[in-house]
Amino acid sequence: MIHGVALGIPWTLAVTAAAFLIGAALGLPLCAMRMSKLPPLRFIGLAYIILFRSIPPLLLVFFFFFGLGSGFLPISAFQGAVLGLGLITAANMAEIYRGALSAIHFGQWDASEALALPSYSTYIDIIAPQLIRVSLPSAASYAVGLLKESAIASTIGVTDISFNANYIAKSTYQGLTVFGIAALFYIMISLPIAALARFADQKLRARVAL
Amino acid sequence: MNHIPDTVNLSRMHPVGEPDKPILRLEAIRKKFGEHVVLDDVNISLKSGEVVAIIGPSGSGKSTLLRCVNMLGPATSGRVVIGDLVIDEAVPPTAQQLTQLRRSVGMVFQSFNLFPHMSVLRNVSLPQERVLGRSRKDANKRSLELLARVGLEDKADQYPARCSGGQQQRIAIARALALEPQIMLFDEPTSALDPELGLEVLAVMQELARSGMTMLVVTHEMNFAETVSDRVIIMADGKIIEEGASREVIRNPTSDRAKRFLKAVKDR
Repeated sequence: MIHGVALGIPWTLAVTAAAFLIGAALGLPLCAMRMSKLPPLRFIGLAYIILFRSIPPLLLVFFFFFGLGSGFLPISAFQGAVLGLGLITAANMAEIYRGALSAIHFGQWDASEALALPSYSTYIDIIAPQLIRVSLPSAASYAVGLLKESAIASTIGVTDISFNANYIAKSTYQGLTVFGIAALFYIMISLPIAALARFADQKLRARVAL
Repeated sequence: MNHIPDTVNLSRMHPVGEPDKPILRLEAIRKKFGEHVVLDDVNISLKSGEVVAIIGPSGSGKSTLLRCVNMLGPATSGRVVIGDLVIDEAVPPTAQQLTQLRRSVGMVFQSFNLFPHMSVLRNVSLPQERVLGRSRKDANKRSLELLARVGLEDKADQYPARCSGGQQQRIAIARALALEPQIMLFDEPTSALDPELGLEVLAVMQELARSGMTMLVVTHEMNFAETVSDRVIIMADGKIIEEGASREVIRNPTSDRAKRFLKAVKDR
């Protein structure tokens, strides 16, 4: 029984990691668009963020898998779940980056400009590393949320922890035990993510503060 | 004041142009924020190797003026002339002009603005690599020389947060010097420091002045203005209200506004 539920762990991790990576990467250009000086870009960025933060994840995953998936764009359940959750994560990460950006002292931009640093260097060498550090705690807590949200993938047939738990519970009539075990697995994955984020945050913080 | 080298190298370390031709000219600089006039027809000319202090009450436009020089905050109109480079403040400069301008002009800020996520050495080396195209090795060598000059080579591997404010400001000076500017701008470099730490920054600036660097310094340090700078400019309400030889301007101001300001400074 434990083994059966545990078989879902790799899928839970895969959906979470893939969706988070898509979101973390896509969030950067999205944040840049959201803060662009060009009104059309700013509008598209803002519209994307509002739209994808307003749709329930379940609905979006259904939309991709049952909507687009039925004929228009043949995608697997895994792809559908990752796409749906990834696009929502991108909108949220863009907002996390935007918050972090405002926490970076304007003097950093002043100094970069006064030193004649090329803009690629300003972003890559100066701003991005500070941005990542500042967004780390919020991003980690979002990742933990995403881990739990990934259970949505089970509804379209991804054989993750929740899917297996549901399946075994129905066939053994031991729902209490089975779902208890599933919950335990989610906790066991969440805790290290949170711990790792705290550790990394403290490491990075120790450098920049006394 | 530990680590400050007491042997001062009087040889000219910085390139010197023709002695009487101005190295930097600010012409008819005006700046408005909406209806509010912050800078009203400011003209300043600096000869090579000259050290000019700008003093005056808060809100008089001193820092704003400094930011016009390297286009961190362009003016509404006016011109900045450095050698062959002529920048019209009203027109967005080309990328090439802007790079040329900012490579000629180094700037030191009130809030230091070191990059907190990089070691002291990296702070000084990175701009050399990205702007001058130096190799990591050459950049580090130059950085260590400059850190030694400001008395901080032993801090090279530390992060800025582990350094005192005075040390951070001296590192910021080294970082700006690493790009071999012709002119250095200082925007209230000691205002965020307690008096003792301010002193070690002033010592470095004094050494820099003696070595022949052209400097434009916005400051509230009257002793520095009087003894280190060649000329003092007093600004109030966006205008230059008095300028001349440092001692003369500070000891015997002529206008009432300047008298009032200097009295307030001295009676403190």
